[in-house]
Amino acid sequence: MATLQLIDLAKRFTKKVWGVRKMDLEVADKEFIVLLGPSGCGKTTTMRMIAGLENVTRGTILLDDRDITDIAPRNRHVSMVFQNYAVWPHMTVFDNIAFSLKLAKLPHDVIKRRVRETADMVRIGELLKRLPGQLSGGQQQRVALARALAVKPKVFLLDEPLSNLDAKLRVNMRTEMKAIHQQTEATSIFVTHDQSEAMSMADRIVIMKDGKIVQIGTPDDVYFRSADMFVAGFIGTPPANFFKVLCSYDSGGIVLKHTHFKLEIDAEKYDKLKEYNRKEIILGVRPEDLLIASEDKAVFSEQILVIEPQGSHQVVALSFEGSIVKMVIPAGIKLNHGDKIGLDFNRERLHFFDKETEKRIILRQHLV
Amino acid sequence: MASLNLQTILDKETRKKMIPYMLIAPVIIYYFLFWIFPVLNAIIESFKSIEGVWTLGNYIHIFKDPVFYRALLNTAFLVFFSVTIEFILAFGLALLINTKFKGSSFFLFLAMIPMALPAVAVGAMWSSGLATRGWMNSVLMTFKIVDDAGKIIFLAGGNIASMWLIILIDAWQVIPFVMIILLAGLQGIGAESREAGYIFGGTKFQVLRKITIPMLKPTITTAMILRIISAIQIWLIIVMLFGFNRIPVLLEQVVLNVDELGSDFFERIGMALSVIVALIVSAAAILYLKVSGSFEKEAEK
Repeated sequence: MATLQLIDLAKRFTKKVWGVRKMDLEVADKEFIVLLGPSGCGKTTTMRMIAGLENVTRGTILLDDRDITDIAPRNRHVSMVFQNYAVWPHMTVFDNIAFSLKLAKLPHDVIKRRVRETADMVRIGELLKRLPGQLSGGQQQRVALARALAVKPKVFLLDEPLSNLDAKLRVNMRTEMKAIHQQTEATSIFVTHDQSEAMSMADRIVIMKDGKIVQIGTPDDVYFRSADMFVAGFIGTPPANFFKVLCSYDSGGIVLKHTHFKLEIDAEKYDKLKEYNRKEIILGVRPEDLLIASEDKAVFSEQILVIEPQGSHQVVALSFEGSIVKMVIPAGIKLNHGDKIGLDFNRERLHFFDKETEKRIILRQHLV
Repeated sequence: MASLNLQTILDKETRKKMIPYMLIAPVIIYYFLFWIFPVLNAIIESFKSIEGVWTLGNYIHIFKDPVFYRALLNTAFLVFFSVTIEFILAFGLALLINTKFKGSSFFLFLAMIPMALPAVAVGAMWSSGLATRGWMNSVLMTFKIVDDAGKIIFLAGGNIASMWLIILIDAWQVIPFVMIILLAGLQGIGAESREAGYIFGGTKFQVLRKITIPMLKPTITTAMILRIISAIQIWLIIVMLFGFNRIPVLLEQVVLNVDELGSDFFERIGMALSVIVALIVSAAAILYLKVSGSFEKEAEK
């Protein structure tokens, strides 16, 4: 049982530099939360404040309704996995994992049992007598994980724990960590700048930018209902494409005019766009919602710049009006660079953003 | 044709392997001419009488001389207390500067000044400072701590008092040096190791004792060895403050015999004495390494 609340949390480093400007977040019991954002967005600073490694400039941190804002790290009942593992090189794997248990003065047999349990859970049971210097990076990471699990913390903090692993190991560890979370059910906060990592692990993703929260939501929320252009352009591999269009509405329906194409859309469904009559708005389209269409049905046609085969699918890049538009198409369709293809939009899944605020224009369908 | 080819390849290989040896050759030659040869010569001469006959007489003379035992005792006292005090203070300062408080880099710069001064300058500075009409008494009088009649005669104290004075001056000069070494070691450890200690239940003291100090051990060993060696060899400051033979220490006795007394006989005594000092230095270093466990092989538990 552990709930975590951040209330109006802020951190100022120097007079002008803010690490975190304002954070309000409620983390439910057993939830796996991912803090996601580009470097310098304040996600690690937020985590360090929760851990007690960073003083708080303003705001409150509540853990199970207890104010822990000014409490020493050791009394917070949190544990942490560090980016560079931070396993202690002069202690054996056993001593690393047992460190906190020994300081808590648990009985010998309890310590032994707990270390064995957690070591087995992360599959380093046979390495307990080794020193970290004799282990690979992946194994050291597991030691760090076991050390954090052994405490049985109320909140489990993970600071980019996978970023130093090679690509294949990283993907495997993702799966394993998610499985461990399902087993331990510890409330977890995971920091990363890798959006695909965030999408695959999180119950809810907190997307941050410039020390503020931009959007909180499930992976589906942030992908299909991105709160603004930043989120739409950050989430997804590749991220969303943007087109600047002029919106016009008359008795015939809504027409979006672009210098290169004209798109008629359902006035019933995109009701809210009527308010933007004769105004420029931003149309956002996910790469898989750009469709190949025959000449007569195509909204516009363009030459293929580059094709990136991915095995299960292929990414096609088109040069469009001086910028690059990317689409995802199934494997097996034979295309060459230089080919001219016709394109259509999946009209069920269009995203619209206000040109000034860059915020999502919320349509009626999403209010349901 | 093929064999010729092979030979040229081999030649290239051998030539490549020769390069490092050729590069260190000048150093080796220098080492032999100006170091090993004179040292060997001194060792040999220390076992000969003035007439050139092999003898242990020089050593027997030293071991019969009560001044030698005073020098030995004084040196041991200086080494033990100065190294201990310097280490504790330097470690404290290194920990303080490593917290990177505001202005810590300026403090680091200030602290390094004594290190830049040569021993002669330090000796001159303190001997003028500690003279009865020196600047130390002036300062004390300015702050009305002593009056004109009550001026402290620093350099007239007894053996032990004088030695504490020497330790004080030595510490003043050497602490920055030890601190820099320890600080470099601390910065090599990185903050995450300590932060992990705090997260996993450690108090400041527990983290210091169970994480920082063990991880810093190689650096501590280096600093201690260097300090022990140079502490055994202290002499210049003592001579500048007190002159020869007031506070006898080992190396001061060597200098006294070789340079000051200077006759053929005393020169041989000086050589024998330096052999003894060299043995003591090596023994102390090995003993320290042994006690600190640096010889133990890692990870074979």
